[in-house]
Amino acid sequence: MSEQRSFDVADLPGVGPTALLVFAGLYAPIVTLVVYSFNAAPSVATWDGFTFDWYLKAWHNSTVMNAAANSLIIATLAALFSTALATLAALGTTRRPAFFGITAIYAAINQPLMVPEIVTAVALLIVIAAIKAATGYAGLGYLVIAHTAFCIPFAYLPIRARLEGMDLTLETAAADLYASPWQSFRFVTLPQLTPGILAGWMLAFVTSLDDVVITEFIKSPGQDTLPTYMLGQLRRAMTPDINALSAALLGLTLVLLSGFFLLSRRKS
Amino acid sequence: MKRLLAASAMLLCSATLAAAEGELFLYNWGNYTSPELIKKFEETYDVKVTITDFDSNDTALAKVEAGASGFDLVVPSAGFVGIYADKGLIEKLDLSRLPNHANIAAQWMNVDWDKGREWSIPWLWGSTGMTVNTKVYTGDINTSAIFMDPPAELEGKVNVIPEMGDVMALATMYAGGNVCSDDPAVMKKVRDLMVAAKPKWLSMDYSTVEKMTNNDYGATVDWNGSAMRARLGNPDVAYGYPKEGYGLWMDNVVLLKDAKNVENAYLFMNFIMEPENAAMLSAFARYANGITGSEAFLPEDMKGAPELNPPAEFANNGQFVTICTGKALDYQNAIWTELQK
Repeated sequence: MSEQRSFDVADLPGVGPTALLVFAGLYAPIVTLVVYSFNAAPSVATWDGFTFDWYLKAWHNSTVMNAAANSLIIATLAALFSTALATLAALGTTRRPAFFGITAIYAAINQPLMVPEIVTAVALLIVIAAIKAATGYAGLGYLVIAHTAFCIPFAYLPIRARLEGMDLTLETAAADLYASPWQSFRFVTLPQLTPGILAGWMLAFVTSLDDVVITEFIKSPGQDTLPTYMLGQLRRAMTPDINALSAALLGLTLVLLSGFFLLSRRKS
Repeated sequence: MKRLLAASAMLLCSATLAAAEGELFLYNWGNYTSPELIKKFEETYDVKVTITDFDSNDTALAKVEAGASGFDLVVPSAGFVGIYADKGLIEKLDLSRLPNHANIAAQWMNVDWDKGREWSIPWLWGSTGMTVNTKVYTGDINTSAIFMDPPAELEGKVNVIPEMGDVMALATMYAGGNVCSDDPAVMKKVRDLMVAAKPKWLSMDYSTVEKMTNNDYGATVDWNGSAMRARLGNPDVAYGYPKEGYGLWMDNVVLLKDAKNVENAYLFMNFIMEPENAAMLSAFARYANGITGSEAFLPEDMKGAPELNPPAEFANNGQFVTICTGKALDYQNAIWTELQK
């Protein structure tokens, strides 16, 4: 975009050391967590030799595996739905002239970022309890819907940013060449938008995977997710099977991320 | 992707389809229910038990109160049993369906929150006191001065669990008041003592078992079950019962009014009042139960453990910690907030 790139942050003195410090602060705790998942002692704080036992223990603990499965199912579905909705919202708010009330629409879409989570949680608890009583359905659907709702802004922001950064000329050219609106979307807009959609999906996935407050309030019997399970452990001794599980999830996330990275690089 | 969608759609539906007979839904504190006990119950009665965790009495109450929670049994703390009853959320127990009701220890039969045990049965109980590393501090450990006025050896080595009700109860009793004192003079003293003591604390954290085992803390305000776990890992650790007054708590099983599996709920309540099964609860969570005769079935390292059996001289110093209300709670909140700064 800018031809005269005379200023680059990376040229400033001290950027390297600062970046190193920041990355150390971000990743040192995660590395510690992974290292202690191989700890032979039943403690999350003292080192006492190497073992895979905690991975086996977590694997054989049906409560833990059930919580992990719940987390992954909810996060996958909520990320899928919220990204689809966010893509539509982003197209609707960028690919047309600004209109009256667009600020209100932005505010509505980003509402989960503004309203304290506990308020949303209590509100959802009341509404969903009424629906449960009326329908008798108590499945994971409620959690998927709730997670979809609060994941939308996380998916929406990167997609909108991508759309705003995209040049309109290609789409205009496609229209000039008699492409139908669907064709120009499918063959021109969408391919350019894919990195934004992937980024949005991942952000939504991670946000859903992380959620404690809303899940704790609206989960039905047997629907503990990993974060609510860990919260329940807090007051009693934590054992490294939690580390093992977190490390395994981390590994899974890394595999997913690398997969997306390779995919998007090959395409471009 | 299609397959994933189909699989998750099936999962979404299964929760409703599975509401067949032979189920029980228990809503309990996290990591508090012995898996062996549940397995034994499931095999004995062919009932599938689903356990769901809560992290605080308040969350549990809010969910049950909203209705259609889907749970049959809940395990609230002593002070909350009356609230559930007053709000009409729980059922008065039909004692004729609980033959093992007679096993409840005399001490736990006529409790303040449930005279005659018509609304709730005991789960586990414990105390809040002082866990001290006796290598670091050799003086008297049966006093709240350990954290309210730390001796020189313990300065900068004391931890306080971030649990307002339990800690404020100890502090108020230390200052000469009742558990829920609303006397401004007493509470002023509590505040001054705690504000003066706080610079000598190391942290306000839950992870007492690891830190006491590793000698990272010299002492901590603690629950007796954690104290015992720490001692089993580090023989220098001992548990003190503050003579100024220590806290007592008990969690209790209640039957929800909208329970769908009432028959199984009664079976389960009766089951855990069998001494052998009550001992399984204790063996897992490391706290005492309220059932006569369970001692014989406890694991060896728990039999006669000092953490589970207050010494006779301090037996009457324990006070039940209830939820304070009104002015007393306002004072506690104000002091607690000041301590977080």
